[in-house]
Amino acid sequence: MIPEFILRAILASIMVSVLLGLLSPIINTKGLAFLTHALFHTLLFGAVLGMILALILNSYGVVLLVALIVTILLLILIAHLEKLGFTSDSAVGIISSFVAGLTVLGFGILYKVMATRPYFPLTQNIVSYLTGDIFLLTLDDLTVLTIGGTTAFFALLLLYRDFLYLSFDPEGMESYGGNTRGYLTILYVLVGVMGALIVQTVGLITLQVVAVLPGAIAIMVSSDLRKVLAVSLFLTITVQLSSVVLAYFTGIPPSGIATILLGTVYGALLFRR
Amino acid sequence: MKAIKARNLSITYNGKPALTDVSFELDEGRTLLLLGPNGAGKTTLLRTIACFHREYTGELSVFSREPCNARELIGYVPQSHSLNEKVPLTALEVVAMGGIYKRGFVHFKIPPEILEKAESALEFVGLGGVGNRLFRELSGGQKQRVLLARALMSDPRLLLLDEPLAALDPSARAEVTNVLDRIKKEKGVTMVITTHDINPLLEIGDLVMLINKRLIAFGRPEEVLVDEVIKSVYGPMARVIPAGGKIYCITGDFHIHSGGGER
Repeated sequence: MIPEFILRAILASIMVSVLLGLLSPIINTKGLAFLTHALFHTLLFGAVLGMILALILNSYGVVLLVALIVTILLLILIAHLEKLGFTSDSAVGIISSFVAGLTVLGFGILYKVMATRPYFPLTQNIVSYLTGDIFLLTLDDLTVLTIGGTTAFFALLLLYRDFLYLSFDPEGMESYGGNTRGYLTILYVLVGVMGALIVQTVGLITLQVVAVLPGAIAIMVSSDLRKVLAVSLFLTITVQLSSVVLAYFTGIPPSGIATILLGTVYGALLFRR
Repeated sequence: MKAIKARNLSITYNGKPALTDVSFELDEGRTLLLLGPNGAGKTTLLRTIACFHREYTGELSVFSREPCNARELIGYVPQSHSLNEKVPLTALEVVAMGGIYKRGFVHFKIPPEILEKAESALEFVGLGGVGNRLFRELSGGQKQRVLLARALMSDPRLLLLDEPLAALDPSARAEVTNVLDRIKKEKGVTMVITTHDINPLLEIGDLVMLINKRLIAFGRPEEVLVDEVIKSVYGPMARVIPAGGKIYCITGDFHIHSGGGER
């Protein structure tokens, strides 16, 4: 009999793998690796704000919601800066540095609020947010991940071709009547939503790696879009499930194992070249 | 009808003047070759006509409309190296891009009629068999022709081409020039083509505009391409050479070798 927490972890891994498998090639072709760095900052800032609110309101469910809203708003702001003429890297740099500073200030406030409480359940929450803890997922977490993930998956799938065209030639797209601003904003929102949904599973520290490497590896081994997607999906599912199994037997956090596995595959491919 | 009308057009780029006080008119169906040294403002003018750039004063109209209101009449062909070739798109998908944005926001699948039109456009530019090949794996000349096919998908009345012959070998240049000639003759599309090397395009150019931050000369090739005008922009080594009833314009770095090996 498989323990229920393992089943939840496996189901969450499959959902996360499908999302990352589809998103990662777009992150690579659109050159959004640096955006995932911004995602780290916005999610952490959102989580800190959420934790402050959670302590004040005594409702721990608001953490994910606040992180999600803050992340989406900040990513929309990055998309807006890009449309104003800033390069993607500049826009990310401006927002990330600003948000990083605010996060530190937020931590200061969080510690003060925590000091007023007799019991600090969020201490564990902060750590699990950073490293990810798939074995601690509750049924509610899994439900949110499944519903939100399925919605984000279909939105990404339906607009996949448009995102490819946006990556290929945004000016061309605009000149032929495509709403580049709309597509860019939706893409960034989807990146933010997916990041917020999976962060509890993969952890903030390793989020950037697991979001970038599957697509980077898939693009290295194939140039056909269908094969790229197939490799990316296969890789994320294999790595995520393997890391859950290995973590169960070794006690090492699965996000760390997944990152090392991906890094090994990527490094091996680079050496082979 | 006037395809393009510019009156006292001055364009700035990040607040700095890129092109000052340019006036010209281009009739529908004519082909204008836009010539000038690096940084002369050729691409900026092209991008302003295409509504990618909006910092300008004076009057500019495309088929009697503001450029941004005439977008559906314009086909813009960028330099192929400005595209992100990491994206694994086939030639057919690239061409279809020119047709799908006239309707809908979600394009999960390319509609069959758009695919059919894209195949015809590829046939028109002489690339009937390459539809399923990846764009990035095509030669420079083939890529340029795919981009021309893409531009034709929206049935434009005005084609704006940014250096369509840049970095192409002579045979690829001839292929692209032949396609441009077909577009002009069979479709009657007005074209504005920026170029550094005007010679391969002189056969299809009705008018030549020479700019260097301002309008230097505008008129028929034989009026504009004279030593005096060319030297004023490209320096004393630039020349116009008449040969076999044609004119050849030498604007770049060139060397004249004497019999004894002296220069």
